[in-house]
Amino acid sequence: MRKMQMSAYTLEDMPLMEDLHEGDYDVAIVGAGLSALSLLHSGGTALGRTVVLDYQEQVGGLLRYLLPADGFGTEWELLRDFQLPSGVRLLLQTTAVGLLPANDAEPTHTLVVRRRQGTTQLRARQVVIACGGVERPREHDAIPGTRPSGVMTPVLALQLLAQGYLPGRRALVYGDSRYALATARRLAEVGLEVITAAPASGNGRSVRLCGTLQEICGFPRLTAVRLLCDQQSVEVEVDTLIYATGLLAGTHWLKGSGVALTAAGTIAVDAHYRTNIPGIYAIGTVVRPELDHEDSVRMGKEVATLLPGGVS
Amino acid sequence: MEMTSIDLDVDILVIGGGVVGCAILRELARYDASIALLEQYPDVCEGTSKANSAIVHTGFDARPGTLEARLLAEARQLWPEVIARLHIPYLQTGALMVALNEQEQATIAREIVPKAAANGITLQPLSRAEILEAAPYVNERIVGGVLVEGEGVIDPFWTTRAYCEHALLNGAQLFLGERVSAIEVGPQRLRVRTENGKTFSAALVVNAAGLWADEIARLAGDHSFRLTPRKGEFLITEEDHGVAQIILPVPSEVSKGILVTPIVFGGVLLGPTAEDVSDKRDLATTTAGQQRIREGVGRLVPAMSTVSTVRQFAGLRAVSSTGDYIIRPSTVSERLLHVAGIRSTGLSASPAIGHYVGKLVGETLGLRLRTSYRETLPEPLSEAAHEDGEVVCLCRSITRGEILAALRSTLPPQTLDGLKRRTGAMLGECQGNLCLPRLIALFQQELGRDPLSLEKHAPGSRLLVERLTHLGGVPAHSGERPKRGQ
Repeated sequence: MRKMQMSAYTLEDMPLMEDLHEGDYDVAIVGAGLSALSLLHSGGTALGRTVVLDYQEQVGGLLRYLLPADGFGTEWELLRDFQLPSGVRLLLQTTAVGLLPANDAEPTHTLVVRRRQGTTQLRARQVVIACGGVERPREHDAIPGTRPSGVMTPVLALQLLAQGYLPGRRALVYGDSRYALATARRLAEVGLEVITAAPASGNGRSVRLCGTLQEICGFPRLTAVRLLCDQQSVEVEVDTLIYATGLLAGTHWLKGSGVALTAAGTIAVDAHYRTNIPGIYAIGTVVRPELDHEDSVRMGKEVATLLPGGVS
Repeated sequence: MEMTSIDLDVDILVIGGGVVGCAILRELARYDASIALLEQYPDVCEGTSKANSAIVHTGFDARPGTLEARLLAEARQLWPEVIARLHIPYLQTGALMVALNEQEQATIAREIVPKAAANGITLQPLSRAEILEAAPYVNERIVGGVLVEGEGVIDPFWTTRAYCEHALLNGAQLFLGERVSAIEVGPQRLRVRTENGKTFSAALVVNAAGLWADEIARLAGDHSFRLTPRKGEFLITEEDHGVAQIILPVPSEVSKGILVTPIVFGGVLLGPTAEDVSDKRDLATTTAGQQRIREGVGRLVPAMSTVSTVRQFAGLRAVSSTGDYIIRPSTVSERLLHVAGIRSTGLSASPAIGHYVGKLVGETLGLRLRTSYRETLPEPLSEAAHEDGEVVCLCRSITRGEILAALRSTLPPQTLDGLKRRTGAMLGECQGNLCLPRLIALFQQELGRDPLSLEKHAPGSRLLVERLTHLGGVPAHSGERPKRGQ
């Protein structure tokens, strides 16, 4: 049943994750996407006793549903060849829902974690937040119009394909990031008619239509979208809109933790990926949602050298 | 037509599964009679009931002497018991009506306060300083205002479902996805046919079809009233800026205006606009409407004019040609009872409308109360009681156990939006784009629903168009999922 959102936790009644806990961890990594994998790859066993947790059923973050794909060679190699360093615990389908930084009474950081067995806590001397974000939906940018089925972001379309279903027949992919265009190619490969579009102020990659999304039309299923192209309103008949304009940093679970955010809602870090709280780091798209995935890989490598006990 | 076989024969048939129809069904379930409800959508609470301010309103500003004012007053007495017995989440926030200038202040004193008094409600005048102390987020430029203590917020979906579940628990039958296409009026019984080809027969039919009630009346040959849609657009924000009370502007001639309303589960609702439209299906949001909302709320709570929004939507309320509730028998038969023109106060008045109509029907048919009647709904499970704590909706931390409980409930969701409203999943930042495939899988696992048949909301809103016959470039590994318990 629906409930009010929690912003603070009491730990008194919450058990430690006993089956997984043999004392405090040296490092806890929240998220097992590319930046986390890159950190593990570079840091290896030198990180000390390490635990990695992720919401998903598999490692690789949101990009997992796209890979392998043309133009994503570096990312695919990292994922394909990834081996968990010995001694590192990987907890999948395990979600961090709160963080309580170390204090005078409790010298380690505590993560509040949910998984099948219930809500538990997990302690670590250092925490690396590498949880990425979620894709920006049409609602976040308040695109006007109707609310039909057939409007989605790439991760939904790619997951539906992976489950063996076609999400539509004729799609407009709105966005010109590498990821948006790779999603467009994947949809075309499985037989959708695909039109790419992006605002003229985009990153200059080649799309078929230059224009700004103005309106979503049709009900109960999407029938068209309207774009403003060169001051002309253009209606494009499609049954599917892939809204691929980027990510929102996944910071909602940090509410009340004291980890400082920027005005844009991302985690504020210094040049060494340190947050305002000693021993808590942040890397990847949770720091900069506009990052290309290759930058996430680089950040993971860099932070591996910066963690106390890490490799140099 | 005489040869048509009857699919269901009942004493009373209610048309319309909104908050009003379900409240009536719940009251009718007290009687020793067979009752059923028809709803055109695949879920209850899909029409006017789903897109409103979610306020349990005292009716302080209703026109004294109207049926609407009388039923709102009765509802004030009934709500505490309804909330307790049906376990509906409710917050008594109170409402502050704020005046931005001396002219508005004079309107409050001259019109609002006396009208409230005529409705039996005492408004408490507050100075500028008192308001800003209680609600520091309010515009500093206000000159004063009044407190309406009894106003509160509720979840309209939960309320409608609770009414319906309570009726089901006491023997009512529910038919979803049944849109009425014909009504035959006989001397003793009415026959109601649906687009799916089903025929229902009843001794009395309650027309609670919301915005469509005039069309239901016309199907029976009754042209005595007309309903026109008035569109209201809303914005939802999760940035609350401390808003803890309903903030009302001083109303104008045409509208109660654009409000700032705390949402019972967190976040703030901004709106509505008021625009007369012609299409009863026009639920599109517009750039102009969103702009008007931001201007309107900015006058009351300046921080709200620039908040980020997680969702926008529009609702249509019924404006009746008579200006008051239309609760009376049709012009063609005493056995067709209209409950129409409920405007924007249907949620607030629903317990009293249910009670009033229930009594009216009971007397008309000479019904006796049932000897066994369950007064309360079972309590919902606590969070910890759910069997599976794995997070499915990442943005809202909604667990698999919570999803399973909704899918196994008395009134399980038939659509993805139905699941959203029962659990809160898909209501966060990503609007379900991440977790929706997991939810589709749970629908299939628990209710045996073929993913291809699953709809978002209305008939025709399927999400998937066909199964992939070849996988193309999709790697086979991404389709694999570990089994539960591993």
